[in-house]
Amino acid sequence: MPGGYTGKILRVNLTNKQISTLPTEKYLEFGGGHGIGSAVFFDLVGDQLPFEAFDPRNLIIMMASPFSGTFMPGSGRCEVQGLGPMLYPIEWFGHSNFGGRFTAQMKFAGWDGIVVEGASENPVYIDVVNDKVKIEDATNGVWGMDTWDAQQEISRRAVPGLRRGEWAELAQSCYTTQIPAVVTCGPAGERKSRLAALLHGPGSQAALCGFGGVFGSKNLKAISFLGTGSVPIADPKAFMDARLWFRQFQWDVDNPRDAEIFEGSGYSLINGAPSGGNVTNGGPNRVPARAAACASCPRGCKMRLASADSNEAVCAGTMVANVGGGGMFGGFGRKPDPNAMPSALSQKLTRQANDLMHRYGLGHWQVMATRGYIEALVREGVIGKGKQIDFELPPSGSYAYHETMFRTIALREGPLGALAAEGAARMAEKLGRYQKDVSSGLVKLTYYGTQEHYDSATQVEWGYGSILGERDLMLHQMSNYPLHWMAQSGNPYLDAEQASKLYAEAMVPYQDDRYLVDYGEGPTGIYSDSKVKQVAWVKHYEKFWIGAGGFCGWRWPQCITNNSADRRGATPNAEPKFWNAVTGQNKTFADYMELGHKIFTLDRAIWALQGRTRDMEVFPDYIYDQPTRGSIQPMVVDGKWTYATGAGRKLDRAKVEDWKTRFYKFEGYSPATGIATRETLEKMGLKKVADALQKQGKLS
Amino acid sequence: MSDGKKAESTEAAAKKKFTRRDFLVTGGTVVAVDALLSTTPAGAVTAASAPPPEKVQAYPASKGYLVYDSKKCTGCTTCMLACSLTHYGEQNLSLARIQITQDSFGKFPYDLDIAVCRQCKYPPCVQSCPVQACFVDEANGNVRRIDTDKCIGCKTCLKMCPQQPHRTVWNHKINKSTKCDLCLDTPYWNEKGGIGGKQACVESCPMKAIRFVTEMPNQQETEGYNVNLRNEHWLKLGLVEDSRIQPPGTGGFGGGAPKAKMQAPKANTQAPKAKG
Repeated sequence: MPGGYTGKILRVNLTNKQISTLPTEKYLEFGGGHGIGSAVFFDLVGDQLPFEAFDPRNLIIMMASPFSGTFMPGSGRCEVQGLGPMLYPIEWFGHSNFGGRFTAQMKFAGWDGIVVEGASENPVYIDVVNDKVKIEDATNGVWGMDTWDAQQEISRRAVPGLRRGEWAELAQSCYTTQIPAVVTCGPAGERKSRLAALLHGPGSQAALCGFGGVFGSKNLKAISFLGTGSVPIADPKAFMDARLWFRQFQWDVDNPRDAEIFEGSGYSLINGAPSGGNVTNGGPNRVPARAAACASCPRGCKMRLASADSNEAVCAGTMVANVGGGGMFGGFGRKPDPNAMPSALSQKLTRQANDLMHRYGLGHWQVMATRGYIEALVREGVIGKGKQIDFELPPSGSYAYHETMFRTIALREGPLGALAAEGAARMAEKLGRYQKDVSSGLVKLTYYGTQEHYDSATQVEWGYGSILGERDLMLHQMSNYPLHWMAQSGNPYLDAEQASKLYAEAMVPYQDDRYLVDYGEGPTGIYSDSKVKQVAWVKHYEKFWIGAGGFCGWRWPQCITNNSADRRGATPNAEPKFWNAVTGQNKTFADYMELGHKIFTLDRAIWALQGRTRDMEVFPDYIYDQPTRGSIQPMVVDGKWTYATGAGRKLDRAKVEDWKTRFYKFEGYSPATGIATRETLEKMGLKKVADALQKQGKLS
Repeated sequence: MSDGKKAESTEAAAKKKFTRRDFLVTGGTVVAVDALLSTTPAGAVTAASAPPPEKVQAYPASKGYLVYDSKKCTGCTTCMLACSLTHYGEQNLSLARIQITQDSFGKFPYDLDIAVCRQCKYPPCVQSCPVQACFVDEANGNVRRIDTDKCIGCKTCLKMCPQQPHRTVWNHKINKSTKCDLCLDTPYWNEKGGIGGKQACVESCPMKAIRFVTEMPNQQETEGYNVNLRNEHWLKLGLVEDSRIQPPGTGGFGGGAPKAKMQAPKANTQAPKAKG
């Protein structure tokens, strides 16, 4: 086996309680993580598609990458795959991922991933300590626990007598000071909510796709890993050299570059400084805290507080609840108003309310959309005392409001809970309002039932990348943080022309195109062939480096950075430097991007087997019909690069469709269907995928 | 050990080649060791600062130490992985001679501890080793080391280390004890380690929360090794105000006297030099 792999994937059938292994070697061509996960899914159940997400045939695939368990910066996220009950109108083969140290312990235990199939008759959890795999009864206290209690209880059961700060003997003379890494669903998942997340630690969520509900449908509460083994490294010296070389791209905590510009909350999410991900702890009432990191991350965007509330939650995980104005302190390019500081109590209650969401196991991003829809329906007179949905919420912005909201949804309480637990899309459908409310933008379910994230009319690679995928793209580090938020800060460290130049140089193999990040409406802008290449680059990067490599979307890609002398980021040099050192392979960045293309193509084939057609890959009407408020990005306007918002712009349907046609052709897909041609599939070594599509009449 | 970096012990070599069995059978010292261990309170930190009761032996002080700032650490474990990589060529938390123990659900600053070898003034590991495998390397700055070729795997040094977790580390792959050698023997790293050289954990820590020093830290208190490595730039992150942290029942972190408000050291203007 090449370095970075343990060589085996754990396979657990919960129906017949059979435990077996899959050889990693069979799937090496897909790299790791998402790539291997897609290939395993196709192999095991591809010929049975379509079926539903809560069908026992659905799989939960959780894959590590060759980087998991290593100190590759900003890697080690766990990729979760399977049919996603959150997604709409079809429960697409989806993916979500979470950070922490789960895949590190998975690798140390000797596994490259785990595939769970079938469904248990009674609630269980899976406990893995090195090569010992047990399916444990969860009825004795674990089932019914919230996500925090469940993780801590399972840790205690996995290693009896384990005390933090002491060595524990896991097997004969195999010791560790680490505690088990557990991922679990909460009460929401046990009730098969489509909003249910998977939680690892207090705040690390696999929030999208509803995989917590899939756990619940399988009567699977949790999976725990703990190990004492090694991750082999092909070229240790090169790997160590690469890690130290990478320091030039990190925030220097003792002597940050251009501290006078980058220190302070205005840049907290984009400068690479520690702790900026938690937006609820700041100002004069801040609670002393640690900047906390996932395994191997040199940034540490999370916090652990002296009050232990909002521990390790970031971004939306700290934003859904806002009690008395205690949320959204700083961050996101804005400096807090010194005359409007939240009270210590409102900040604390905000943190604790968000913690409730985590403890119930609700996925923050779609809970936010669903709550917004509930509020809209209250305004519309659909929800309220004596209304169609007879339910009265406590006053908005109170702790009671959030507590009631989360409990009602997670526990499916009453008529509102029963509806909302299905997620905003199916809630709208059941109320007979989907077409009306989504088309109008009353509820902005822009990408297959997941809510709009960034403006699809200006940050188009996010919008295009999402509708060509299966859910919200969630790839902040492409142009969103580095470009959008840099410009939004009002004090960008690169002008639009400089930034676009550095981006183009990093985006191999399309580095000769100067207009990859032109978000204008001109000939090189959002409908251009340059945008075709940029979106292809984004999807290929997403599938290989983020997906197969387990990279963090808050860290990678890094086309520019404020931390290096010349503002160049680590991309595209770092990725192959690290990958080749770990695995012993000797490929270029472009080679790996082509593998990303292959994985993307495989995913799209699976969606085709589920019923995806070209006409589904569109935005809701409001994106085309309503002028946007805009979103600042680099644009070419009147022949010159500038930062502009594109305010008032509407996407043009015909131009988007024409762009799609060119994108499909560029990728080797049929412009009529968006599905890869047999020629493309066979060229990629995916003949059996072509045969499966042919069998279903999907190849034109 | 690598040929190039293997240092010879200046301790007298054992006259006899002991085996683990020989020691367990004939080593009456084990009884004394266990007796001492059983009377040592868990978590005691002072045992190595005072001469052990059985015999007093002077050891030359190490010329180098690792100190750390547990409040600055993010728990990324990069230091542990750098340690195992440079020593063994693989990444393995269990083999790391520096250990980060943490609880994601815990309250700062008690959610995390850093365990580094203290290079003790009176090193119980050295004193208790029945075959002198654990030794003071006078040719290399008096670093307390373990010669795994000599180690018989009796685990006495694991038991005798008064720290929790013990700083001597069991290597289950070779069934030998190991410990921090300040990177004297790092065959998988091109840099020179040891006194005057570089340490993998120090170099790789993204928070600069570990530092090599030549002055012996206070042996009486944990605080001697757990120091403040934060400067004014860290303060601007808005994370820590030491004066506000008063754990119940103690006067300050680690049970010591209440600390004054943090004195921020000056910014380090020396940028790190990357290798290669």
